[in-house]
Amino acid sequence: METLIHLLSVFSQLSILGFGGGKGIIPQMHTDAVTTYGWVSSQQFTQFYTIGKLVPGPTTIFAALVGYAALPQRPLLGAAVATAAMFVPSSLIMIGFDSLEARFSASPWRAIISRGLAPAIVGLVWSSVLTIARGAPSSLAAYLTSAAVVFLMLRTKINAPLLIVLSGVVGIAALR
Amino acid sequence: MPAEARPSLGSIALTFATIAATSFGGGQKASIRRQVLARGWIDSDSFFEGLEIAQVLPGPNLLNLAIYCGQRVRGVPGAVAAFAGVSIPPFAIVLAAGVLYFKFASNPFVHGALRGCAAGALGLTFGNALELTWDERKSWLSVALVAATALAVSLLRMPLLPVLAIFGGAGILGEWLRVRKRSEA
Repeated sequence: METLIHLLSVFSQLSILGFGGGKGIIPQMHTDAVTTYGWVSSQQFTQFYTIGKLVPGPTTIFAALVGYAALPQRPLLGAAVATAAMFVPSSLIMIGFDSLEARFSASPWRAIISRGLAPAIVGLVWSSVLTIARGAPSSLAAYLTSAAVVFLMLRTKINAPLLIVLSGVVGIAALR
Repeated sequence: MPAEARPSLGSIALTFATIAATSFGGGQKASIRRQVLARGWIDSDSFFEGLEIAQVLPGPNLLNLAIYCGQRVRGVPGAVAAFAGVSIPPFAIVLAAGVLYFKFASNPFVHGALRGCAAGALGLTFGNALELTWDERKSWLSVALVAATALAVSLLRMPLLPVLAIFGGAGILGEWLRVRKRSEA
């Protein structure tokens, strides 16, 4: 019961603070899920994030896996509660905004807020790189794989999940 | 006349479920746009308005945009149908992945694959950070805020709320001053 309340509290706060499509919440989620509550290890956190990038839909759906691991006796309940807490609060804001929207659209505030928040979000993405690196394999082969993905992502049109799958193939060969 | 100006809630849920279940690696916004325009649910101006709102408010862009479209055609029940459509298929898929993960993660081949995938995901996040930083390169204030935020979070372990309040707030203030200066000139 206590864990459920913690899951609700952690993920609903992340939901409300999930500006920039939720790109900036990874470091805080790691602090909560790994350091504060010990629901998952750093390595599991990185692997769950990876699965979130691999499956269709929003990456933050990997909250379900953190909830699953946090409640080993009732994993489905943990997953459902974490996912609901991750998605419902921001959705309620979106729904509630519709009535205020007419007032907002005439003003330049929307563009000012989204452009003004962008640098902080980008800084948080850099911190996410360090967060994810803590649970990623640290070997020359792993670093070369990451570097190859950066190159292919920036220079080719290969889509993200396919790049992850290709990395997995490399992993079977070189990272066992 | 559009064929489907007042769609059923089931049809809203199913449309977004299909998009969410097949949205591998981006392109979702374009596919939502195609679908809702083709069905005559909303017009193009209204779509782009919704896209802007979806991006400025917290939450996944895909989810927010679907909610906006659902709400436009069928009010709050439409928004709820769109929410269910976007959330349920990825939830089911990620759960299936989770069950397999806990069953097989210790198998050496799966273990190797997961480690490789993690290295790949790290590369994607790094590449994303590079791209996003490149977009901010024209303003020194923005670049300084990117660096200051990353340092505050990774070195000083500053929590998310004060990070957004301080560095997000400074960015919004800077942007507001810039827009005001430009409109006075």
